[in-house]
Amino acid sequence: MRRYVPKDDVQKKAYYTDRYWVAPQVPKAKVSSDSVFAEDLKAIEAKFKVLDAYIQVEQMVVYIQPEDNFGVLELMKKELEYTQLSEMSAVDFLSQRGEFDIFYQMLSMSKRKRIRVKCAIKKDEAIESVEKLFRSADWSEREMYDMFGIKVNNHPFFKRILMPDDWEGHPLLKTYPLHGDEFAAWYEVDKIFGKEARDIIGPEIRDDAAVDRYDTKRFARLGHEVPFGAEIPEGEPAVKTEYQEDDGVFLIERFEKESSTVITDRDR
Amino acid sequence: MQVKNRLRPFFENINFDRKDNELILNFGPQHPSAHGQLRLMLHLQQEQVVKAHPDIGYLHRGMEKMAENMIYNEFMPTTDRMDYIASSSNNYGFALAVEKLIGLEVPRRAKVIRMMLLEINRLISHLFWLATTALDIGAMTVFLYAFREREYLMDLMEDYCGARLTHSAIRIGGVPLDIPDNFIPDLKKFLDKLPQNIKDYEDLLDTNRIWQMRMEEVGVIPTEMALSWGCTGPMLRASGVAWDIRKEEPYELYDEVDFDIPVSDKCDNYARYKLYMMEMRESAKILYQVMDMYADTSTELMAHAPQYISAPKLDIMTQNYSLMQHFVLVTQGMRPPVGEVYVATESPKGELGYYINSQGGPYPYRLKLRAPSFWHTGVLTDLLPGHYIPDVVAIIGTTNIVFGEVDR
Amino acid sequence: MAQHQVNYTQDGGLPVALTTIDKVVNWGRSNSLWALTYGLACCGIEMMASGASRYDFDRFGTIFRASPRQADVLIIAGTLTKKHAEFIKRLYDQMTEPRWVISMGSCANTGGMFNTYATVQGADRIVPVDLYLPGCAPRPETLQYGVMLLQKKIRSEKAIKAQKPKRLL
Repeated sequence: MRRYVPKDDVQKKAYYTDRYWVAPQVPKAKVSSDSVFAEDLKAIEAKFKVLDAYIQVEQMVVYIQPEDNFGVLELMKKELEYTQLSEMSAVDFLSQRGEFDIFYQMLSMSKRKRIRVKCAIKKDEAIESVEKLFRSADWSEREMYDMFGIKVNNHPFFKRILMPDDWEGHPLLKTYPLHGDEFAAWYEVDKIFGKEARDIIGPEIRDDAAVDRYDTKRFARLGHEVPFGAEIPEGEPAVKTEYQEDDGVFLIERFEKESSTVITDRDR
Repeated sequence: MQVKNRLRPFFENINFDRKDNELILNFGPQHPSAHGQLRLMLHLQQEQVVKAHPDIGYLHRGMEKMAENMIYNEFMPTTDRMDYIASSSNNYGFALAVEKLIGLEVPRRAKVIRMMLLEINRLISHLFWLATTALDIGAMTVFLYAFREREYLMDLMEDYCGARLTHSAIRIGGVPLDIPDNFIPDLKKFLDKLPQNIKDYEDLLDTNRIWQMRMEEVGVIPTEMALSWGCTGPMLRASGVAWDIRKEEPYELYDEVDFDIPVSDKCDNYARYKLYMMEMRESAKILYQVMDMYADTSTELMAHAPQYISAPKLDIMTQNYSLMQHFVLVTQGMRPPVGEVYVATESPKGELGYYINSQGGPYPYRLKLRAPSFWHTGVLTDLLPGHYIPDVVAIIGTTNIVFGEVDR
Repeated sequence: MAQHQVNYTQDGGLPVALTTIDKVVNWGRSNSLWALTYGLACCGIEMMASGASRYDFDRFGTIFRASPRQADVLIIAGTLTKKHAEFIKRLYDQMTEPRWVISMGSCANTGGMFNTYATVQGADRIVPVDLYLPGCAPRPETLQYGVMLLQKKIRSEKAIKAQKPKRLL
């Protein structure tokens, strides 16, 4: 019987998990434990709906509604002095709850604080661009689209950034295999030589340990060295290994004690 | 026989039926001064750039996807290949992020060794920057000199970890090895010569007419642009913002050492050049202090956390339980707690951040690499218009971008 | 007559060396291998280091040229990605015959550690490769040894006979 492989998440899985094992949690602190964060959160809560907020590993995490993202970031930039958008991207939770988590990593240089603003959007929803606030979002949003296929509204130059323009699929989705799909496997061959060259070039070798014993064009045969491209018959003869020294490596084949001198004085 | 070449021309997507006399110039991806695989589409009005589109992704190797299919320790060598000029900085950023995630405290000697490696890597990176930028501008002498000095440091790294370029010299929870006996004397010998070397470079470049003309008032990044584009590191400090993560959010022992953050408000290429030179001196200063710290530390190198970190080799070879733990950690990998973390460190190029989302499994659920060069390439979109073609090369030089990091 | 007249039949023989055209041409070809500056990734840094002050590639007659039309040898130094693959084909086609290709480092040989969707699994899927250098990244010494091996290979080739163009397809 063929082994069942889930289609919605093709990432590598742990092959064994103790059935009684409970994953520990990274500790979360209340926002009120940090005065700076508490004030920031109050300012955000005054204008927008905050779904959840806590402090984890010295940074505040704020969950907002996806339609508020521009407003919240504008407020944070203009009033709360979070002047830099360090990073933004998405996390694929489609197989668990049919959503992408989008996070905006904000940095305030005057307060020396970092806040992560997060929101969740459904699969086919689009999100508003924050490119007008932070130019860095221009490229981040393009990368997010490239990797996850999340559309961004009102982006000035919306196209793929890392993958080629004619690429199919969004690589960081959990449904996308690490080694690529059929399109990815033949991409360069199709593009350069054409589809009919597939048979000549052959499929990619993805197995790290693949060795073809009888392929003398691509694999060296240690101990049984044969010329490049030689056909190997049954019962091949061993070919003499040549070393850099003229007559091979110097080896003592036989030691005759009578005809040799033993040195006792080391300083002679 | 070769079939007809099916490659379409470069400008397949560009409309040439224009009324104006704009020229579209393709720059890269194979260009000696593109610092890797940068491709720029430049719209030119005579010799002046009016629009620039950096095209990246020619070195996209899918590291983030790889991370999702690897246990945490397996991913460490991959981080080497991100910013391959200063590999240990990447190793360190990742190690620190995982340590923050699982809440580990690293022994003091490991911290001292890490500081040494980080600053040596900063020197390697800055020397490399100087060499390549000078070569782009046309100063071959500086290239040869700076590479000579860099080789001493590469040898030191080789003494420590056996690799010249891709070090993997830092592990989650500490460092794998103690420094060899001759490491500190050798480093001292190098550092004693370094000020004279830096002065040599400065004598060659500082008041060199060509250098000044190519550098001064060229590539001015105003403070707002730098902040908005997420520039960090020397790019930001040359634009008048004194922000260095080593100082502002100190990690390791950076709060115990005394060093200055050079800042300039000139915002141009020359300011960035001067900052790199000054930062090399500051790194030397830090290294002197860290070398003195080394003596009074205990010999422990790895944190003690049997759930996450393998025991020392001696324990593994003598104690059954340690061997079992080691076996599980190597075959299945450690399982950090559920949660997410974003940790930023100051790599030679700027803020190097790792965002790790862990769902409690042995593989990271999502790992986002925040590489400074990505945004330093992005800023070219706004920076290049208005400049002349020769300035483009000088500007790409001073942004100090590395494509392993941009495309990941 | 000039004072320094040499009697060729007596004083140490003629200043003439007899050799084959093959040897002369191959001697020239192998001792001035101009490489294309084609640093793709990490290996490109080691390639630069081999050209720089310590390892000094000039000793072998190898200097780096920025244009494929002036280059004899293409050193694929680094990861070849699928997005970049068309360009390596284009650059290779632009080089003049005879041309050689060195695949430097694991990534160019087989894809190496980057066994992912975005990486070409071996540059020999795109261009024919003469020499594979192992290592990640190979040391400059490895590249030097590789170039010496390539010189050896060139010296063993027929120089004058119409060369069979090397094509993958």
